[in-house]
Amino acid sequence: MNEIIDIPVEQLHAEMKKLHDERHFDFLRSLTGMDWQEEGLGVVYHLENTLTGENTVVRTHSANRENPEIPTVCDIWKAAEFNEREAFDFYGIRFTNHPDLRRLYLRDDWVGHPLRKDYDMSEETNPLRMTNEEPVDTTARLEVLRDGSVIEKREVIFEDNEYIINIGPQHPATHGVLRFRVSLEGEIIQKLDVHCGYIHRGIEKMCESLTYPQTLALTDRLDYLGAHQNRHALCMCIEKAMGVEVSERVQYIRTIMDELQRIDSHLLFFSCLCMDLGALTAFFYGFRDREKILDIFEETTGGRLIQNYNTIGGVQTDIAPSFVQKVKEFIAYLRPTLREYHEVFTGNIIAEQRLKGVGVLSREDAISFGATGGTGRAAGWACDVRKRHPYGVYDKVEFNEVLFTEGDSYARYMVRMKEIEESLRIIEQLIDNIPEGEYQQKMKPIIRIPEGSYYSAVEGSRGEFGVFIESKGDKYPYRMKFRSTGLPLVSCMETLTRGAKIADLIAIGGTVDYVVPDIDR
Amino acid sequence: MFDFSIITNWIHEQLISFMPTGLAVFVECVAIGICIMLMYAVLAIIMIFMERKVCAAFQCRLGPMRVGPYGTIQVFADVFKMLIKEIITINHADKFLYNLAPYIVILASIMSFSCLPINKGLEVLDFNVGIFFMLAASSIGIVGILLAGWSSNNKYSLIGAMRSGAQMISYELSIGLSILTIVVLTDTLQLSEIVERQADGWFLFKGHIPAFIAFVIYLIAGNAEVNRGPFDLPEAESELTAGYHTEYSGMHFGLFYVAEFVNLFIIAGIAATIFLGGWMPLHIPGLDGFNQAMDYIPGFVWFFAKAFFIVWLLMWFKWTFPRLRIDQILTLEWKYLVPIGLVNLLLMVIIVVFKLHF
Amino acid sequence: MEKKRNYINGLLHGIGTLLTGMKVTGREFFTKKVTEQYPENRKTLVLSDRFRGMLTMPVDKEGRNKCIACGLCQMACPNDTIHIESETITDETSGKKKKVLVKYQYDLGSCMFCQLCVNACPHDAIRFSTEFENAVFDRNTLVKILNKTQSNH
Repeated sequence: MNEIIDIPVEQLHAEMKKLHDERHFDFLRSLTGMDWQEEGLGVVYHLENTLTGENTVVRTHSANRENPEIPTVCDIWKAAEFNEREAFDFYGIRFTNHPDLRRLYLRDDWVGHPLRKDYDMSEETNPLRMTNEEPVDTTARLEVLRDGSVIEKREVIFEDNEYIINIGPQHPATHGVLRFRVSLEGEIIQKLDVHCGYIHRGIEKMCESLTYPQTLALTDRLDYLGAHQNRHALCMCIEKAMGVEVSERVQYIRTIMDELQRIDSHLLFFSCLCMDLGALTAFFYGFRDREKILDIFEETTGGRLIQNYNTIGGVQTDIAPSFVQKVKEFIAYLRPTLREYHEVFTGNIIAEQRLKGVGVLSREDAISFGATGGTGRAAGWACDVRKRHPYGVYDKVEFNEVLFTEGDSYARYMVRMKEIEESLRIIEQLIDNIPEGEYQQKMKPIIRIPEGSYYSAVEGSRGEFGVFIESKGDKYPYRMKFRSTGLPLVSCMETLTRGAKIADLIAIGGTVDYVVPDIDR
Repeated sequence: MFDFSIITNWIHEQLISFMPTGLAVFVECVAIGICIMLMYAVLAIIMIFMERKVCAAFQCRLGPMRVGPYGTIQVFADVFKMLIKEIITINHADKFLYNLAPYIVILASIMSFSCLPINKGLEVLDFNVGIFFMLAASSIGIVGILLAGWSSNNKYSLIGAMRSGAQMISYELSIGLSILTIVVLTDTLQLSEIVERQADGWFLFKGHIPAFIAFVIYLIAGNAEVNRGPFDLPEAESELTAGYHTEYSGMHFGLFYVAEFVNLFIIAGIAATIFLGGWMPLHIPGLDGFNQAMDYIPGFVWFFAKAFFIVWLLMWFKWTFPRLRIDQILTLEWKYLVPIGLVNLLLMVIIVVFKLHF
Repeated sequence: MEKKRNYINGLLHGIGTLLTGMKVTGREFFTKKVTEQYPENRKTLVLSDRFRGMLTMPVDKEGRNKCIACGLCQMACPNDTIHIESETITDETSGKKKKVLVKYQYDLGSCMFCQLCVNACPHDAIRFSTEFENAVFDRNTLVKILNKTQSNH
């Protein structure tokens, strides 16, 4: 794979700064907490240079298992802030100088750090707590003093006299169980604090005790609007590790399915955005048409939301006999319908004014936060994995990467509407040319991955979805990390919404388009 | 045209024939009160059913279909459910105001409802400043909404109530201006008089351009006045869950809900009365045969047909547009509707002075 | 002057866009609706054969299933949904020992329809049916014995 650089903890911050400033590794693709047992706890950073597309992997570890301390890099990449909180939550790695070192997913009264290999899973350590979590308005910050010792400081998030309202976890506009605590001044948002983890299921931990084919079943349940793509990423990663080449037919089918899934997701995005903005009728139009894709999915895969289609070395079953024809009919149907969407919603002066100039994300911020997908492309960052690291048959088809420069909600919305058209174009080029061949390769009954670490990514419906596997040669993964598409998106919510109105928060949340199960995993 | 005052006068005479006048008037008041309440309830049920069917049709759905043929009994079932639900009072709420608020809203609604002239001789409240009274009565409702938001001890409710305060007070201005435009044309404030003056043509046609502009302004502002989409910010369900009535349950919520729908009808009813001639049939000067044929259709049919047509129009607005943001709402009012309304009023004055109307 | 023109143009443009939207919904008001009236349309409901509703064990005409109690499905299941009880009997004619299925217990409540059991089965003894109306009042009724029909014989 790529070069792996081992950097000792003491030099980490300086070396990372050098990588960022001198070699222009400005995109932190993924940050993975690791437990290497006797070697200690550590972090793996996947970096990319957005100018040249060059990739590198950096590793660091701290041998101190009791109190591992690693300097934070969130002053270099903003994306690190939430990811380091996740690593702190799961591994207890204390990131010094991190401004906001709280648990990200688990409750504050959780005992232990569950992804550590020595974690005590018994029910006595963490009984089912039926009481509410006390809201804490302060956060920890570990400051390194001059003599090298570390002290913990408490910092205030919300003052007592602030008018704080909860948006979520049960709220019509959060698209799932995500919670924002919002400090308001009239209608204007002063501060926003994201609380994740309301549907954290510990999928990464579960994967460590499942065989590789079994882990596949869980990926559909991450971003349920990117089920095909997620599973594609995991299958690709395993196939890459095993050195398996899937047949051309499978590549075609996977690519078509990915694109149908993208259209499905973007139609749902359109619908939900309309609903968030109060245009309930357009919401129903979107769902009416999404139903047609789901029918196509159901016919071939047997599932509508959870499809279980990609398998290691192929796909579950061959495409249904009427698949090609149905897809063509759908393409012919959707084009005029898209125009109708634009008439009823996009062109509407109310919608336009509610979206234009609202929640602007600059290109620098998008890269720094790692906000890929439509959000990044709306800010002018060409971050499409299909173009950066082509997989499937994306190198054989012609399509445009939709780019805007405004970075506001309207651009984010338009990127996705235009992407539906591009996806239709991709499918049109492929649908008639699906080559004959095996749909499933013969695999060994027990699948083992050679020792090593592997990363592969696909362009999910809402950004780069990556899978990182570290294997010790067993039939179980030693560590499996999913690079969530949504986590960078919620981490930039604070930047986007500050100074906006509360109605804008809903519009921004709608256009940023996160899916909560994917954030919480 | 059938005059209902014949019947009402006959009842009145029958009553005073065996009881003192004072008692007779009292009995009549009670009877009329009951009639109004009944009609109010029936209209609310019709409106709710209509809303659900119309909105479903716009959204390529069928709407309620399960309870009764075509779902006709659905709303009755809902009302029954609402009636037997527990009325919850939450902790730390201002209990007195919290329980009072829905009644203020419904009171304002019923008061303005009784001003509507349904047929010739079927006017309950009809005096020389009728339309003025109606505007005053309907704006009491906002007090109820503000109280509901304030007393609920809920931050969403409070934001919702504040929004509705800002919105309704602003839009009352436009409503007043557009009605004033017609008042200039009629030189009366009495609702029955206004209808009578439209015997030779509805004001929408008589007043042509300014009347039409006033009509459009009235529809927009009226929609905003009853907090319906695209102006439903006070209860914006995707932002504030349910706005000012988040914490209400059972019939207290039911009262807000019913009032919202009947208010919509009232807005449509006023529009029908002052722009489309109320119960007055369609008369085209010069075509006497046609006019006579139109007269055979009873007045209340005309009134309800016109009112429900406008209701349908408002539902069409609601189910097409996304919700406005608070600053857009205020921009629309203060930068567009109010100045246009003022210019329009001036235009109407010029037209009336130079007798340019039909 | 420029401002004034912008004001009026903006107003007209706004009204124009609003009317376009109303045109679309107005058209929709009169078109055929897409609501499916389930459960009245049960008979005409089209479900894909590949739809995964519930795990079943098909039997042949004599009521025998193909299961050889190898336990591969049980091993493949990520959720411990399947429990197989088997016994070893000796065939009287040949004297060979053979594993026979006694009880095939399947918990629909914890199944996530990943199809790994069906993939693992070497004899196609189990497959998913398209039955989807699985709602019950008691979780225990979701635990099903798939080879029940055989034991009745």
